Amino acid sequence: MHEIGVREVVQFAGFTFNWETLCMTWLTMAIVLLVAFLATRNLKMVPTGWQNVVEIIVTSLEAQIESTMGKRGLFLAPFIVSLFMFLLVSNWLGLFPTLASPTNDLNTTLGLALLVIVMVHTLGLYLKGGHYIKHFFQPTPVFVIINAIEEVAKPITLSFRLFGNILAGEILIIILLKLMPIWMPIPSVIWLAFSIFIGGVQAFIFTMLSMAYLANAVGGADEEAE
Amino acid sequence: MIDLNMTLVAQILNFLILVALLRAFCYKPVVRMLKARQDRIAESLQKADDDAAEADRLLADYKQKLAEANKKAEAIVSAAKKQADQEHEAKIQETNAQIAQMKKEAAEQIANDRARAVEQLKGEVVALSLAAAGKIIAKNIDKDDNEQLIDEFVSQLDKNKIGDLPC
Repeated sequence: MHEIGVREVVQFAGFTFNWETLCMTWLTMAIVLLVAFLATRNLKMVPTGWQNVVEIIVTSLEAQIESTMGKRGLFLAPFIVSLFMFLLVSNWLGLFPTLASPTNDLNTTLGLALLVIVMVHTLGLYLKGGHYIKHFFQPTPVFVIINAIEEVAKPITLSFRLFGNILAGEILIIILLKLMPIWMPIPSVIWLAFSIFIGGVQAFIFTMLSMAYLANAVGGADEEAE
Repeated sequence: MIDLNMTLVAQILNFLILVALLRAFCYKPVVRMLKARQDRIAESLQKADDDAAEADRLLADYKQKLAEANKKAEAIVSAAKKQADQEHEAKIQETNAQIAQMKKEAAEQIANDRARAVEQLKGEVVALSLAAAGKIIAKNIDKDDNEQLIDEFVSQLDKNKIGDLPC
C-alpha cells in the first residue's frame, strides 16, 4: 500500500525519475505489446475469431481518420490506436492491488498531451504552412489572444482531466479499503466497477480529443494541396 | 503530488517506442493483410468477370458453329433428297418406257400370231371344204370346175370377216 502523494524517486545522470511510474509504464507497454501481438499473430487470408475484431478496429479507425483528416492522416492511425490501448491498460492497471496507473502521474499525462499538441502544431505548419498561422488570427487579429489561450489550455485540460480522474479513483480505492471493515466490501466493489468504467471513458476521451486536435491540423490539407 | 521532472521526457520516449513497436509488429501486418485480401478479392472479381466474358464468347462461338453445322446438314439432306427424287423420277420414266415397249411388243406379237393363225385357218378350211365338197360331188365336177369353185370360195372368204368364221 503506497502513501498518497509521496513518490519514490531515483536519480539517474543528474535527473530525477519517478521510479514507480516508469516501472508501471514498462509493465503497461509489455501488456499492450503482448495483447497486440497475441491479437495479430497468425493472420490469415480468411479471418477467424480475434482477427475479425482486430480488423474491425483497424478498418473503422482508418475510415474515421479518412473522413476527418483525409488520406494524409492515415499515417496517424497507429499512433492513435497505440494511444488508446496504452491509456486503457494504464488506467486499468491501477485497479490491481499493489500496482499503480502510470496515468496517476502528471508526468505521463502531460507528456502525452504535450506530445499530441506538438504533433498538432508541427503537422499543421508542415502541411498547411502560412495558412496554419493565419487561422489563429481569424476572424479578426484580436482573436489571437483567445486562440492562444485555447492552444495553451488544450494540453493542460487534456492532461489534468485524465490525471485527476485516475488519481482520484486510486485514492478513493485506498481510502475505501481503509475506512471500510473487511466484511463490508460493497462500496469498494462499486467504486472499483466505476473506476473500470472511468478508465475506459477517460482513455476514450483522451484519444478522441487528440484525434479532434490532429484532425484540426491535418484535415483540409488535402484541399490545400489541390 | 504534482512534481514534474524528467519522468515527463522519459514517458514521451516510452510512448514513442511503444508506438514504433506496435506499428512495426502489429499494425503493419494487419494493414498488409487487409491490403492483400483487398487485392485478392479484386483479382478474383476481375478473373470472374474475365471468365464470364470468355464463357459468353465461347457460347456465342459454339452457337454460331452449331447454326452453321445445322445449315450444312440441311443442305446435305436436301441435296440428297433432290438427287433421290431425281433418281426415282428417272427410274419411273424408265420403267414406264419399258412397260410401253413391252406392251407394244406384246401387241405386235398378238397381231402376228393372229395373222398366222388366220393364214393357217384359211388353208385348213379350204382343204376341209375341198375334201368335203369333193366327197359330195366327186363324180360331177372335173378339174376346171373344181378350180373355179375354190377361187370363188376363197374370194368369199376374203370378203367376210375372219372373226365371224366358225373356228
